[in-house]
Amino acid sequence: MAKRAILSDIRIQTWLLLGPALVIYVVFAVFPMLDVIWLSAFKWNGLDPVKEYVGATNYVDIFTKDPVFWVAFKNTVIWTILSVSIPPMVGLALALGLNQPIFGRNSLRAVYYLPVIIAPIAVATMWRWMYNPFFGLFGQIMTLLGLGAYVPDWLGSRDAALYSAFAAHVWQSVGFSMVLFLAGVQEVNKSLVEAARIDGAGRWGVFRYVTLPALRTTLTIVLVLAIISSLKAFDIVYGLTGGGPAQSTQMLALWAFTQSMQIFDFGRGSAISVVLLAVTLAVVIPYMRWNQKREEAAQ
Amino acid sequence: MTLTSAVSRAALAGGLLLAGTCLSSAEELTFWMLNYSSQASADIWAKLVSDFEAANPGTKITIVNRGTDDHKTAIRVAAGTDKGPDIYFMWAGLGLGGEYVKAGLSLPLDKYYAEYKWDDELMPAALSFSRMYPGGRHGVPSTFRGEAIYYNKALFEKAGITSLPANYDEMVAGAEKLKAAGIPAITFGGTVNWHVMRLMDVILESKCGAEKHDALKEMTAKWSDEACAAASFTELEKWGKNYILSPFMGIDDAQAFNLFVADRAAMVLEGDWLVGMLDEAGKLEDVDFFPFPTGTNRLYGFADYNYVSSKSKNPDLAAKFLDYLASTPVQQEALGSFGTTSVNKNVVYGDMRPLDKKWLDVFNTYGEVYLNGDQAFPLDVTTEYFRIINEVVSGNMAPADAVKAMQTFIDNKS
Amino acid sequence: MTLSPSAFANETVIKPPRDWVLIGLWISLVVVAAIWIAPFVFIVFTSLKSTAQVTTTSAFAPPVDPQFVNYAKAWARGRFDITFVNSAIIAAIKVPLGLFISAMAAYALAKIPMRFGRLILVLILFGTMIPFQVMLAPIFTLVNGLGLIDTYPGVILPYLAFGIPYQVFILYGFFRGIPHELSEAARIDGASHFVTFRRVFLPVSLPVLAALFILDFVATWNEFAMALVLLQDREMWTLPLGLSAFQGQFSRDYGQLNAAIVMTVLPATIVYLIFQRYFVSGLTSGAVKG
Repeated sequence: MAKRAILSDIRIQTWLLLGPALVIYVVFAVFPMLDVIWLSAFKWNGLDPVKEYVGATNYVDIFTKDPVFWVAFKNTVIWTILSVSIPPMVGLALALGLNQPIFGRNSLRAVYYLPVIIAPIAVATMWRWMYNPFFGLFGQIMTLLGLGAYVPDWLGSRDAALYSAFAAHVWQSVGFSMVLFLAGVQEVNKSLVEAARIDGAGRWGVFRYVTLPALRTTLTIVLVLAIISSLKAFDIVYGLTGGGPAQSTQMLALWAFTQSMQIFDFGRGSAISVVLLAVTLAVVIPYMRWNQKREEAAQ
Repeated sequence: MTLTSAVSRAALAGGLLLAGTCLSSAEELTFWMLNYSSQASADIWAKLVSDFEAANPGTKITIVNRGTDDHKTAIRVAAGTDKGPDIYFMWAGLGLGGEYVKAGLSLPLDKYYAEYKWDDELMPAALSFSRMYPGGRHGVPSTFRGEAIYYNKALFEKAGITSLPANYDEMVAGAEKLKAAGIPAITFGGTVNWHVMRLMDVILESKCGAEKHDALKEMTAKWSDEACAAASFTELEKWGKNYILSPFMGIDDAQAFNLFVADRAAMVLEGDWLVGMLDEAGKLEDVDFFPFPTGTNRLYGFADYNYVSSKSKNPDLAAKFLDYLASTPVQQEALGSFGTTSVNKNVVYGDMRPLDKKWLDVFNTYGEVYLNGDQAFPLDVTTEYFRIINEVVSGNMAPADAVKAMQTFIDNKS
Repeated sequence: MTLSPSAFANETVIKPPRDWVLIGLWISLVVVAAIWIAPFVFIVFTSLKSTAQVTTTSAFAPPVDPQFVNYAKAWARGRFDITFVNSAIIAAIKVPLGLFISAMAAYALAKIPMRFGRLILVLILFGTMIPFQVMLAPIFTLVNGLGLIDTYPGVILPYLAFGIPYQVFILYGFFRGIPHELSEAARIDGASHFVTFRRVFLPVSLPVLAALFILDFVATWNEFAMALVLLQDREMWTLPLGLSAFQGQFSRDYGQLNAAIVMTVLPATIVYLIFQRYFVSGLTSGAVKG
């Protein structure tokens, strides 16, 4: 009897429903996020029993004394710019193409989407093998085309390595943008398209004046997702180059990991994480506001 | 598998795992080491442990094996808690081994060195590392590794190299001859940073001599002030440009080995463990080796040590076990499984592969050792050392800038 | 990939008069798709060759004498039996459990008016955007502090925490869209929120749950960075960790390395091919319409 009464109290019901998710989320996601900020003010090697408070020293160090931090920062920016331009563009093109009534379009969609579901670390392993300078796929193709003398050291030369890694990322991520765009394209109002056709608009006209404006929301979402996922580029770079050669493909997320978990300088690693967190927030907060306004407008 | 059975299995496995890493009780020893390199070595360890347990009734020894990186992290994980091993494996030297000593994780063993007279029993070169640490002697040697230049006899002949180089200049002259004959002189794998680093280490030893090289590695001499440091980077750049089988920055050490046994390059800079690999590849007949001619009469190599944890509840038993492991009968029995040579002076060798025999002679010839850079430096300096070496060897950083970058990083540390 | 134009003549989809733009489009899409699939072909071919064959034959040459032994060897050396079971156990617990608690939370947020509901929702939404990669070190110290390194709970709990935001976000949107009358009818009958949730909401949201289930399965199966930090003991490794280590250790056995890649990739590929349509709906229901 008492049990029933307790369970029927709406507040208890609410917390029983909401509680598990909220507790796990707060403990294992929100708390570490605050902890990383806290840790960044200490010097700690993971071995000593006490952490030494050093204030902003770790930040000063990464900004002024770390020879790799700015390389990692620059690479993260380059990677992000490439990520928001190339895969979404290719994805959009594919979505438009695969929205036409053509033979086997479902199979084609499946092919383009397939790499998305593969573990990024497996993609890295695959591509690392394809980039093998002696027996890899790309080297062999170039040799076949008579360009054997020009085969670059795909992952070993600092000019090529970052872009080689990015090519693998494109292969993996295009399908994701494509699916989002496909959904967006299918939402485009058919009668508007018809109306435009009747008004004499060609394919380009329909795309430019009907489809594209209708895709604005999808486009924003794809771009924001691309930015966020590129900021955390980790698995692919870790698996393909490990940040090398000579740290020239280092990324912020990977460099934070290296400092904390391989050099065991937890303070410095955390400071790098906080910088990455700040950059992410600079993108996320405006987006969330925009999203909220959009929702409010819709209601 | 139903969900409940999965949950209970997970809980069970989790519980077992926790139990496994708990601090050992009065008569128990936990020993953390790397994965066994072969089935033979797993068998011999099982036998040694059960023999020791039989000889010391009431003792129980648990061995926990891990991969290299996991092992390093696991010790760190254990350091913050009251769990952990009684004995742990770690390389010797101020870099890797020294860091754990500095953090107070290793128990000074002076008492046991006196009690068990290890100095009378073990090889001096291997023992030298136990005296490097501040605050007493730490760890007991388990194996000793040397590294040298392996070369393809046929390719040397083809290039007209008739006598082995006796000094660094002859080494370069030999590489030049190979190059002239269209043979890449040496192969390295650049993705694992420590492979190319070996070349830098031997060049530093050649150009700076023993004393200055040590001072540079101990960071007591300034890289930017010592002319030999910049000269060494210049030499490294030259090797990268002219003599290393290219491209090398995008491959790893295993692929470099593949290329070496495929006769694509004339030399590799590898350790005594390569003899077994060459045997498997069927190349034993075609290959010979010589220590890199640095002119300092020191061997390039490193030692594996076993340390007693300062948290061990049973240090006496741990020392007794280490003494047992180092003893002549055990080392004699385990010969070939622990390594082709033993750290124990009294072990007698019977039938050996010629190259193993040669290594043994080399170990007995050299009384002193210079360490691999990644075992001499602290971790963060190692990471920077790797970066600078890679930049220089691929021609992206001038030697003068390299020594500056190195010294700036070291200065910034303090 | 060449196809003569006459091959299209039988195509019923392409209506006469022939649309040359569409045909050109089709050809280019097929060519690009061939490029997209080429890596898989290359990997499978290599996985069936011996090291000697790899170094002597062309990349596109099909294996003449398939070395299936590569798979057996890679399975044993990469200790796939252990990594496979670990991955399966972690996914089998994490995915249903995560979905269930996310669904409960989403229901509470969507259907029970509460004081800080809006705030909690924003807090959770925020989690969909924050990369956990920035928090690897503190997660490690937290889990280590709880003594859960190298245990299933030690990796499942953080997985749950970082899976919750996206799932709550999608399910919240979905539950909000369920007509009020449906839940009110049940409530008036005196059913508690638990009963309403279980009897009314879970059944109608099965398609969304199925889509989320599959997406989450693939994400959990593929996760690497957090496992790398939290599972130090190789007895506890998951498939991605095993593959990464395999590449480090046995990179010179090209055939076996590629066999290891195929074996790692295959389970997710099969799941994808079977449940293809759910992927698309799972992605789009949240991101675009949400």
